[in-house]
Amino acid sequence: MTRALQATALVAVAGLFVLLVWRLTHQSHPPKIGGPAPAFTAKRLIGSGTIDLASLRGKPVVLNFFASWCEPCKAEAKVLEDAARQYGNRVVFLGVDYHDVTGDGRRFLSAHDITYPTVQDGSGMIGDRYGLTGVPETYFIDARGRLVGEHIKGTVAHQQHAFFDGIKAALKP
Amino acid sequence: MCPTCHTTLDQSDAPAAQRIKHFIAQRIDQCATAGQIKSELVANFGAAILAAPPHKGLDLLAWWLPIAGLLGGALLLAFGVWRWSRSRVPEPEPPLDPETDARVDEVLAEWE
Repeated sequence: MTRALQATALVAVAGLFVLLVWRLTHQSHPPKIGGPAPAFTAKRLIGSGTIDLASLRGKPVVLNFFASWCEPCKAEAKVLEDAARQYGNRVVFLGVDYHDVTGDGRRFLSAHDITYPTVQDGSGMIGDRYGLTGVPETYFIDARGRLVGEHIKGTVAHQQHAFFDGIKAALKP
Repeated sequence: MCPTCHTTLDQSDAPAAQRIKHFIAQRIDQCATAGQIKSELVANFGAAILAAPPHKGLDLLAWWLPIAGLLGGALLLAFGVWRWSRSRVPEPEPPLDPETDARVDEVLAEWE
């Protein structure tokens, strides 16, 4: 009987060890600049259907995480929209509405005249893949799908140098 | 749950939590049921928005594993106590063989 108890304890400890290893190997690590941009497919915030990041391969992408409840996001909305209009078809601007109520996100886009496509990330899954620490954050992805430039934590309105440098880096062939 | 700070909504003043509370209040004003509101929140934020896991699928493990663990622990404890109490009952000593018995009698007789 003692052997049975020892075996049970051993199995329990082994199970906990497997859980620990699984947890450590499945932790999300922030992606590295120069490495591939984490893939995702997400529902559009306005209209139907989804957007797959992979489908944008071949064009530089400015990926902006925001939320309607985030005050600094309001401050940078105009800078992003103006830049999207300035670069037109040369750069794809893609908004990611992070941990937000869908209706609030839609009202945010309308209030700030955002015309570029935006996807929903209510669960925060996309944000986790990018190792998001908060909103707003902006990433730059080149035509080959690699993260380039310096990813911007906080509003781009106060870091416009880094913002436009990031776009230029994404535009490089 | 607050999606950004991972505490319950009533404990959180995070902006995201405030917006969700506002959404819930709005839906209550529109006479939505608790079930409807929960479904809408899950559709919007995923199952992690719920403070307790649902009673279905793999999530059932979260409900039943602690109970199974407690029961298993109680059984192990009961078994341990039972074994311990048995080991304390002294076993009767085997009788002496006749030769030793006679020798003991002799020694005792010498002492008397």
